[in-house]
Amino acid sequence: MPPKNKGGGRAKAAEPAQQEPPKQPQTVRELEWQRYYDTNPHQKAYEELGLHGMTPADRQAYLNQEYLKPGAAKTLSNKAQKELWKQLNESNLPLRSLPRPRDSHWGRDKNGRDIGDYTIEEYGAHEAKTTKLLNLFFQSQAFKSKREKASNGDGHLVGDTVQPFTCTEDDFEREKVRRKEMADLQQDLYSVKTDPYALDPEWDDVVPIPQVEPEGALAAIAYPDEYAEAMSYLRAVMAVKEHTPRCLRLTERIISLNPAHYTVWLYRFSIVKALNIAIPDDIEWLNEVSLTYIKNYQIWNHRQLLLDHYYPTIVTSPSEVAALGDSERQFLERMLEEDAKNYHVWSYRQYLVRKLGLWDEEERQSIEALLDEDVRNNSAWSHRFFVAFSDPAHATPGSHATEPDPRVPAGVVDREVAYAQAKILLAPQNQSPWNYLKGALVKGGRKLGSVREFSEQFVTNLGGVGDAEEEVRSSHALDLLADIYKEAGEKEKADLALRRLGEKWDRIRKGYWEYRRKMLE
Amino acid sequence: MTSEEPPLDTARHIRYWQRCFRSLLPHHYVSNDSIRLTLGFFIVAALDLLSSPSSYSEPPRDPLKASLITPDDRKRLRAWVLSLQHPQGGFCGSPHHVLPEQYATKWDAINKVESARDPANANIAATYFALLLLGIVADDDGSSAFEGVHRIKTLRWLKKLQRDDGSFGEIIDEDGYVGGGRDMRYCYLAATIRWALGGPEAGEDFDVDALVAHIRRGQTFDGGVAESSMHESHAGYAYCAVAALSLLDLANPNAATQPNHYLHAGIPSVSSLVHFLACRQFDYLDSSSDEENAEPSTQPPPDLSTLTLSDTPITAGFNGRLNKAADTCYTWWVCGTLTMLGEGRVVDRSPARKFILEKAQHIIGGFAKHPGGPPDVYHAYLGLAALATMASEEGQDKEEGLGQFDPRLCISREASERVAKARETLLAPPEDESDDDWGYDTEKVKQEINWDETQKLIARLEAKWKAEGKIPVLEMDKWNPYDPPNLEELAAE
Ligand SMILES: [Zn+2]
Repeated sequence: MPPKNKGGGRAKAAEPAQQEPPKQPQTVRELEWQRYYDTNPHQKAYEELGLHGMTPADRQAYLNQEYLKPGAAKTLSNKAQKELWKQLNESNLPLRSLPRPRDSHWGRDKNGRDIGDYTIEEYGAHEAKTTKLLNLFFQSQAFKSKREKASNGDGHLVGDTVQPFTCTEDDFEREKVRRKEMADLQQDLYSVKTDPYALDPEWDDVVPIPQVEPEGALAAIAYPDEYAEAMSYLRAVMAVKEHTPRCLRLTERIISLNPAHYTVWLYRFSIVKALNIAIPDDIEWLNEVSLTYIKNYQIWNHRQLLLDHYYPTIVTSPSEVAALGDSERQFLERMLEEDAKNYHVWSYRQYLVRKLGLWDEEERQSIEALLDEDVRNNSAWSHRFFVAFSDPAHATPGSHATEPDPRVPAGVVDREVAYAQAKILLAPQNQSPWNYLKGALVKGGRKLGSVREFSEQFVTNLGGVGDAEEEVRSSHALDLLADIYKEAGEKEKADLALRRLGEKWDRIRKGYWEYRRKMLE
Repeated sequence: MTSEEPPLDTARHIRYWQRCFRSLLPHHYVSNDSIRLTLGFFIVAALDLLSSPSSYSEPPRDPLKASLITPDDRKRLRAWVLSLQHPQGGFCGSPHHVLPEQYATKWDAINKVESARDPANANIAATYFALLLLGIVADDDGSSAFEGVHRIKTLRWLKKLQRDDGSFGEIIDEDGYVGGGRDMRYCYLAATIRWALGGPEAGEDFDVDALVAHIRRGQTFDGGVAESSMHESHAGYAYCAVAALSLLDLANPNAATQPNHYLHAGIPSVSSLVHFLACRQFDYLDSSSDEENAEPSTQPPPDLSTLTLSDTPITAGFNGRLNKAADTCYTWWVCGTLTMLGEGRVVDRSPARKFILEKAQHIIGGFAKHPGGPPDVYHAYLGLAALATMASEEGQDKEEGLGQFDPRLCISREASERVAKARETLLAPPEDESDDDWGYDTEKVKQEINWDETQKLIARLEAKWKAEGKIPVLEMDKWNPYDPPNLEELAAE
C-alpha cells in the first residue's frame, strides 16, 4: 500500500523566476536551482500542476521522494515503510535529492553584492581565494605550534633520534609573507583591515590591553585604528616592563602619533638603558623628532636624561666632552633657526651650559649673533644675563637674580652695562636692553644714578611746554629715570616723570603709572 | 563701562561650548590624548561659569536647574573623573593611562604596603584638574565632592613628587625618579592639591618652606618670574608662582595674624613683578597679513616721535614675554595675577576687553589664541576667565552672563566654594574610625587570610616563572579567581 497523502495536495505558489531555470545557468544561484530540480525530478510538475494535476505515477513518485527527506519516513508505520523502500527501489529516483535552496544563504560581498548573483567564473575565483585563505590560516597555525615547541625545547623523532624543533629566520620571514598575504585576502574578500601588529609574528605573544571607556566619556577622541592598536600593545608591554628592541620601535611609533604622551618617554629611556643603546644614536633619532615637533615639552626632558646618563661615561675625556658640547650647540642653533624664542630650547641650553661648563666666549658670541639678528629677542637677553652672572668662576653660588653679587668682577659689570647701552642706542624703545641694563647695575651693586646721563639723552625738557617742548625718545628711559630721581631723593622730578608717562608717553599703562606715583610716598 | 562697549555674546559662546561638550574630538586630537582630563576641564568649567548662579542678573531659585550641566551629566562626569583615579593615589590624564587593577597595584611584602606597579601614570596636572572637576560637577554644596578620592594616598604620592630643591615634577616612576622639568606650573598644581585635600591636617604635608624658597628663586632680573631660577621671565609662570603662594596662604592656619605670609616670602619684589606684569600690555594694531594659523610676527614698538594725543580708542593686547605677539590667554594670566596681588586696577579694563571681544572672538563662539585664528578650548576658556576677572575689580560693572570668578583656582566663585566645602568635609573629624583609604581594615583582613605567607609563595612563583621566561602577570591571569590553584604545589613543581 502506498503511503497516504496526508497533507492534501496544494501546490505552493513558487516565484516564477525559480520555476523556470534557464537552460544554461548564468549565475551560481541559477546553477543551484538547476541542480535542485535535477535531483528532485517531480518537483517541477508538482509546483506547476499541483498534486491533483499530476499523473498518478508522477504523484506517487513525488510523494515517495518527499518521504526520503530526513526523518519523514519514520512517521510511517513499519509496513508502510517497507512498501516505500520497495517502490523507491523500482522507480529509479535519485536517492540524494538536494535540499531546496535558500536564497539568503549566499551572503553579500564587501561591496554589498549578493554572492548568489556571481557568474560561475566569478564564483570560482572567489572560492579559490577563500580556500587559499583557509590554507594559509592552517599553515600559520602550524608555524605557531612549531615555534612554541621550539621555545619549549620539545623534540620530534627523526629516524631513531630525537631532534629538537627549530624555528629559523626563514620560518619567520615566510610567516611574515604569509600574514601579509592573509591580510590582503581578508581585505580583498571582506574589507577587513588587519592591524599591523597582528601581522607581525614577533608580536604574537603579547596580549594587547585595549582601552575601556564608559559611554559618553568627556573629551573623547575619534582614535584612528592604528593609534588605538599601537596603544593597546604599548600598554601591554609597559605593564610588564618589557625592555626589548621591539618595544623601542613601538615607543617610536607612539611618539610619532602622540609626542605628548607623558610616560612613553620614561619608558623609552629605561629601554635605552636596559639594552645599552649608544646614547649618541638615540640623540640622533631625537634630533629628527625635535625638529618635527618643535613645541613639544617631553622631548627636552628625555634629552636631559640621555645626557645625564652619557656624561659620566665621557667625563674623563676632555675631547669627547668638547665634541658633545659642539654637537649639542650645533643642534640648538638649528632649533633656534626654527623659533629663536622657543622656551624649552633655551631652558635646555641653560642646563647644557651648567652641565658641560660652557661659560665661554663661544657661548656669548653665539648669543650676540642672535641679538645682532634681532635685538628684541628677549630670550637671548635672558640667556646672556645667565651666562654673565651665574658663571661659577666668579658668581656667588645661589646668588638671586635680583640681588647684588659682590664677587662679580667690575670688568664683567662694565662690559654688560656697555653692551646694553650700545643696543639701546640702536632701538631706544626696545625694553629688553633697558631691563638688562637695570639688572646688570643691581647685580654689580651700582647705583642707578650711574646711568642718569645716559638715560637723560632720550628725554629733553621734561615737563616743558612752548619753545622748550618736552621730547621723549624712549618711555623706558623715562621709566628708569623716575627710579633714578627717586634714588637721588628728587621726589618731585620722579613724580613728574611718572605723571608724563601716564599723560602722554605711555597712556596705555596710566593705571600703572598712578600706582608708581603712590609708591613714591 | 560705557554703552559703546562691545557686549559678550554669551548665547554664541554657550553654543560653542555645548558643541565641544557633545562632540567627539576629531582624530588629529590624538596628540592631546594624554591630557583629555585637561580638555574636559575647560569645557565643563566654561559651561559652569556661563550658568553659575552669579551669571544670572537675578539669582535662580534652583541653581542646579539653571546650570548648563544637567544632573545626569554631573553623575556621568563624576563617574568618569573617578574612573581616572589611580588606585594608589593621584589621577591619570586619560583612559589610555589607566591600566587594569592587576597592573596598577602590587603588594610589597617586605614593607607590608600596597604600592603602584605603574606609578608614572598618575600625573600632577591631571590630579589638579580632576579635583576641581569634582567640585564643579558636585550636585550638592560640595560636601560629598571628594567622596571616593584616595586622599591619603594622593597626598603621599604628592610628597614624593617634590625634589630636594623644593621643586615638583609631574610624575614619578617605579625607581623614584621624578619626571618633568623644574617647572613653576607644578608648584602651583602641588599647592592646589595640598590645599584641596588638606595636606597638613592629614599629617601628609610636603616641605612647604623648600617650595617657597624654590619659587622665590624664580623671580628674574626684570621683575618677572621664570620657569625656574635664571630663566626667561614669563607671565604664565608669574601666575603660577603667585597662585601657588596664595594657596599656601589660603591653607595657612595663621592666616588671620599673618595675611600674605607666603606671598611675601616667595616674591622678593612685588613692585617689580607688578612692573613686569603691567608691561605685558601694548596697543594692539592689526597686522597687514591676516594669514590664518600663521604665528603673527611681533609688533615693533611704537615710534614715540609720531605719537599723537588724538583719542583713537586703544585696543590692549597682552603678551607673555617681552617682545612677543599678543595672545588671548595672557590677558588672563596677567590680570589674574594682578588681581591676586591686589593690583588689578593697574590694567585698564576697557581696552583689554576690546582686544578679547573685537579681535580674538570667533564667529562660531569661543576665542582664538591670535586674532583671526580658530578658537580652541584653552583660549576660549581663558578669554572668559580674563573677562570675569576684570569685572571683579572694585567699582567695575558685571560682565553680563558671566559668573563671578576665583582667580586662584581659575573656576567660578561658586564652584570654588564647593571645592572649599569638599575640603572642609575632609578636615572634619570622622564619625567613625574607618579611614577613607581602608588602611586599618585591610591589615585585619590580611592577617585573617594569611596574606603574608601567600605573598611569599607568589614571590617564589614569580621568580620561577621569570626563570622560565614567562611573564608572571600573564600567568596569574590564567587562574580562575574563584578556584585558585594550590600555590604550594605550584611553587614546588
Ligand atoms: Zn595663549
